[in-house]
Amino acid sequence: MVLLLRLFIEFFKIGIVTFGGGQAMLPLLQHSFVTELHWITQERFLYFVSVAEVTPGPVALNMSTFIGYELSGVIGSAFATLGVVMPSFLVILAVAHFEKKFKENVIYKRFMLGVKPVIIALLINAIYLIVNRGFVGFIPYIMAIVSLAVFILYKKSPVLILLIAGVIGVFVLR
Amino acid sequence: MKKNLRLLYDFFIIGLFTIGGGYAMIPLMRQTFVNTRKYLTEDEFLEMLAISQITPGPIAINMATFIGYREGGLLGSSLATLGVVLPSFIIILLISMFFTNLTQIPQVQKFFIGILTGVVGEITYITFDIFKKANKDIFYIALLLLSLVELFILKINPIYVILIGGALGIIFGKFFEDNNGASS
Repeated sequence: MVLLLRLFIEFFKIGIVTFGGGQAMLPLLQHSFVTELHWITQERFLYFVSVAEVTPGPVALNMSTFIGYELSGVIGSAFATLGVVMPSFLVILAVAHFEKKFKENVIYKRFMLGVKPVIIALLINAIYLIVNRGFVGFIPYIMAIVSLAVFILYKKSPVLILLIAGVIGVFVLR
Repeated sequence: MKKNLRLLYDFFIIGLFTIGGGYAMIPLMRQTFVNTRKYLTEDEFLEMLAISQITPGPIAINMATFIGYREGGLLGSSLATLGVVLPSFIIILLISMFFTNLTQIPQVQKFFIGILTGVVGEITYITFDIFKKANKDIFYIALLLLSLVELFILKINPIYVILIGGALGIIFGKFFEDNNGASS
């Protein structure tokens, strides 16, 4: 039980300091669980990261499930995941609750006016990061361009397009 | 209740197809909640995205809680968050229990990279689409260019890039907000 609580608390802390994508939390996790607590070996940690980055879902969640299971089975992963989710959940509940009140606020509106172009830049950055880390050789680029064309022409069912891209990948990627 | 279960289902699908970081889910979320379900306008979606980036926690969880709360209160936000968490949870548990080497199998790797190429096409598409629909005055273009410099050349953390954009919006916004009547 102590271990479960500790898992919850460690991941709660990670959840508080993680912003955005989740990659930023990896060094913090490593520090907590490998360097400080010695609960996970460095090799195990790196294996988890390599899997967490290619499996579906946010990296933070995949890591919490992995480490929780490693230390305390299914119940451990549940506690770890709950821990990493809780800060987000609580903060956003508060924000969503008061949203109506500040939505009409002029400062809020101007803030959002300045934020919108930033989102375009962040999306371009996201494309760059994925291409930089995951694309080897020229075939992935061709596939990405083809899928862009498909999305422009047929935007109804993104999930289907992604699945087809995955299946084509099995056959044409090296 | 039907709406809450739909939130659970929608976010489960979104969680399942988020490969390649939190931003990978943005196109699917936009398609689902702005275009198909019409829960949000484009502007509301973009504002939510910005808030999700500057508050603690993975974007996926923040967006799920946010949209869930708006559509179904506390229960809605709980179910939406559960939905987006479950695919990760189940898949990683299965890998831990039975398929320790799953991601080492070449076919599996290729399948995931294939999906990743689709994700890149998808994000590229919505980037153009959001840009196309935006009110592109000189303020918008200048801030976009500034943000690109901050991200690619100065390597500033995205949270600060958003906060800088917001701060400049507060300072200079009054000169431009008249042109953006459509955005409110």
